[in-house]
Amino acid sequence: MDAVLRARGAYVCRSCTQRFQRHLRRSYASAAVQPDIYDVVCVGGGPAGLSLLAALRANPVTAHLRIALVEAQDLAKVKSWKLPPDRFSNRCSSLTPSSVLFLDQIGAWRHLARERVQAYQEMQVWDGVTGARIEFDWAPGSTSAAGTTIAYMNENLNLTSGLLKRLEELGGVSVFDSAKVERISYGEETEDLDLREWPVVHLAGGKQLSARLLVGADGANSPVRSFAGIEARGWDYNRHGVVATLELEGEGWGGEHTKIAYQRFLPTGPVAMLPLPGNYSTLVWSTTPSNASLLKSLSAKDFIAMVNAAFRLSPTDLEYMHTQESGQAGEYSWRLEHTPFDYHAVPQTVVAVQEGTVASFPLRLRHADTYIGERVALVGDAAHTIHPLAGQGLNQGQGDVQSLAKTIEYAVSHGQDIGTTMSLEPYVSERYAANHVLLGVCDKLHKLYSAGSGPLVPLRSVGLSAVNAFGPLKSFLMNQAAGNGIKVF
Amino acid sequence: MRPLLRHAPRLFRPAQSLRRVAAGAAHSTPAAEPCQPSTPYRQLSSTPTLPHTHPASAASSSSSVNETEISHFSALASSWWDPHGPSRPLHLMNPLRHDFIRACLSSSPTSTSTPTALRYLDVGCGGGIFAESAARLPSTLSVTAIDPSPTILAVARSHARRDPALGLSKKLVYLNETIESLPLPESPVGRFDVVSVFEVVEHVDYPAAFLDRVGQFVKPGGWLVLSTIARTWTSWVTTNLVAEDLLGVVPKGTHDWNKYINEGELRRYFDGKGGAWGRRWSWAWCMCPAWGGRR
Repeated sequence: MDAVLRARGAYVCRSCTQRFQRHLRRSYASAAVQPDIYDVVCVGGGPAGLSLLAALRANPVTAHLRIALVEAQDLAKVKSWKLPPDRFSNRCSSLTPSSVLFLDQIGAWRHLARERVQAYQEMQVWDGVTGARIEFDWAPGSTSAAGTTIAYMNENLNLTSGLLKRLEELGGVSVFDSAKVERISYGEETEDLDLREWPVVHLAGGKQLSARLLVGADGANSPVRSFAGIEARGWDYNRHGVVATLELEGEGWGGEHTKIAYQRFLPTGPVAMLPLPGNYSTLVWSTTPSNASLLKSLSAKDFIAMVNAAFRLSPTDLEYMHTQESGQAGEYSWRLEHTPFDYHAVPQTVVAVQEGTVASFPLRLRHADTYIGERVALVGDAAHTIHPLAGQGLNQGQGDVQSLAKTIEYAVSHGQDIGTTMSLEPYVSERYAANHVLLGVCDKLHKLYSAGSGPLVPLRSVGLSAVNAFGPLKSFLMNQAAGNGIKVF
Repeated sequence: MRPLLRHAPRLFRPAQSLRRVAAGAAHSTPAAEPCQPSTPYRQLSSTPTLPHTHPASAASSSSSVNETEISHFSALASSWWDPHGPSRPLHLMNPLRHDFIRACLSSSPTSTSTPTALRYLDVGCGGGIFAESAARLPSTLSVTAIDPSPTILAVARSHARRDPALGLSKKLVYLNETIESLPLPESPVGRFDVVSVFEVVEHVDYPAAFLDRVGQFVKPGGWLVLSTIARTWTSWVTTNLVAEDLLGVVPKGTHDWNKYINEGELRRYFDGKGGAWGRRWSWAWCMCPAWGGRR
C-alpha cells in the first residue's frame, strides 16, 4: 500500500521541494537518490503514531503539513483486519474516556468496530494474600461527567485498523509501509540550503526522507530515540505478562450492562480479567518468566484451571500447582472444594480459552531522559514503558499525542519552525512530569504487592480496606482511572 | 527567581483609510506618571523643533542608529539562535507578537475574514526571530527585514538557509539598511501592511525622528506595531540589575535604562501627529524566561 497522497499547499511548499531536488541533481549528478522533504516524518504506525498523524491531518491549522509515515508492517493487512464476532485478539488495551474523547475529536472513533469494544462500569481489586478488597462501583445515583464507564476494553488491532481507515479518509499522508529503516543520518549543505540539522531517514531500497520534525513512535526499542542520543532508563521487572482470550460461563455477574473488571494481587504479580463483549474476557497475568513458560506449555484444560485458580485459590495452592507439569485441572477441582470464597466477588468461571491466544511478553519500566531533541520528538512506548497493572500504557501514548499535536498547532500558527526544541518545549513540560508520576505509582504498586509476607502485607490491606470504606477517596480514584478527574495521572 | 519584564503594547485605531499604529510601550507603573525629570531628553514630541530630534549633523549622516549599539549586537550574533542563550527572552516573546498582530488585524472594521497576502517590514530584525516566523505564516506574502549590523544579518541569512520554506522561497528578504537609507516606495500601495519595530526604540538615540521615518513606510490602512521596555523601577530591577548584573542572562550593556520609553511618551508622540494615528487599546504582558511569555 504505497498510497502517496499529496497535501494541498504544504508547509514545505512543493515548488520549493522541486527546486531543491533540481538543485541537488545539479550539484550531485552522481548521487542516485535525493531526500524528499517533509514537515513530519513519523516512524512507527502503531496507535500513537497513527493518532498523531490523524490529529494533524484533521486539524485545519496543521492539515497543510507534508507528512510521511514509515512502518515495517504491511498496513493494508492491518487496515482490513477482521475477526469473526466470537473471536478476539489477545492484545487488548483499556481506553480511558479521555482517550476515547480524543479519538472521537480526531474523527477516528467512529471507524472502530464498535460492537467489539466493551465498556466496563465496575472494578474489583483485592489482595491475594490477605483478601482485603476494594470494590469500585459507583454509588447509587452518582452522576459522573462521563457517565458510569470506567474504561473501554478494546483490541489494539481494532484501534490501529480504525485509525488507518480515518487516515485514508483524510488523505494527504505519504505512506511507506513494509519499509525497513536502514539508518537515520543528517542532511547536507548545498548552495541554497543548510540541512545539516535535518534528520534523513534512509529506507531499504534507497528512498530517503528528510524531516523537519522526526517523530519516534517506534516502540520501546526506538531507533529514533537512539539516533537522537536520548537515553531511556529503568529496569526489567523479571516478570512476563501472560495474555489470553477467555470464554466465561456467562456475560458476567452484572449482566450485559454492568461489566466488571477484576484484578487480584498475587505475590508473583497481579492477575487481571477484563471484560470483552458477550461471554468473553481478556486475561493479563503478570508472573515470573518460569511460571509464564509453564502456563504457555499447558493444555487448554489445565490452563483454564490455572486461570480459575488464580482468582480463587490461596497463593500457596497456586505455587504448588505451578510445580506440576500437567494435571492442574484435577488438582484445581479438588482444592476448590476446600477453599471458601464468595462466588460473586470473583469473575465467572472460565470455560474455554481461544486457540492460539496464549502468549507472553516481558514487563519493564523505561522512561526516556527527555521526549525531544533538535528536530526529534518521541511519543508512546518510545518515550516510556509502564507496568500494565493500571492499564495506562496506551492511554499515556494518547495523552502524548494529544499534547504534541497541540504543540505543533501552536508552533505552526505562530510561524515557528515545528522541529526546533524551542517549539517542542511545551510538549515535554506538559507530559514529562505527568507520565513520571504514573510510572512511579504503578511501579510502587507492583513492588508493594510483590511481598508475600512481612510488615507491608497487613499495612497494604489496611490501606485497601480503608480506601474501600471511605467513599470520597474511592470516587476520586475511580475518576482517576476513568481519566476524568483532576489530572494527577 | 527569573527576571520578569513587562510590556504593554498599545493600539491606536484610526479611520479606515488612515495608517494605524499598535504601539507597544512598556508598562508596569501608571502611564501618566513616569518620564520626566531624570531623563528629559527622552521625551518624545510631536513637533520637530524639540531638541531631542536629530541635530543637523546627525541628520546629515541619515541614520538613527547608534554605532555602539550596532557593535554590541554584532558581538551577540553567534548566540542569537541559541534557544538557551541571551536571546531566549526574545524567542519566548515571539509568539505573543503574532497574537498581538492578529488581534490588530482582526480589529479592523474593513477586514471581513483572515487577511491574506500581507507584506511585512521588520525594522531592526536582528537575527531574524520575528522575520522568519512572519515569513512562515500562510497569510504572509513577503517579509522585508532590515538591520544596520552586517554581522547580525549574516547570521540571519545563514539561519534562514536551514529552512527550505524560507531558504528556497523569495518570501523573506534581508537588507543591510537603516530606515533612513531604505528607499521609500513611490506609491502608497507599494508600502507595507505591517511595519514592526520590536525592542528597537530603546536602542535608538532620537526616537521621534526615527518613528517619523518609520511611519512613512506604513500603507494607508496598514499597521505600525511597536514594542519596547518601559522606564520603570520594575524594568530597572529586572532588565538591568537582575538580568544583566546579577544573573548575567542578558549580556551587560544590552539595555540602557535611560533610553527606555514609556507608554505615555509614545502616546503623546502619536497624539501629536494630527490625527493620523487613532484610538488605542493595550495589551500587557510579562516575560518569564523560564516559562515563556504570558499575556
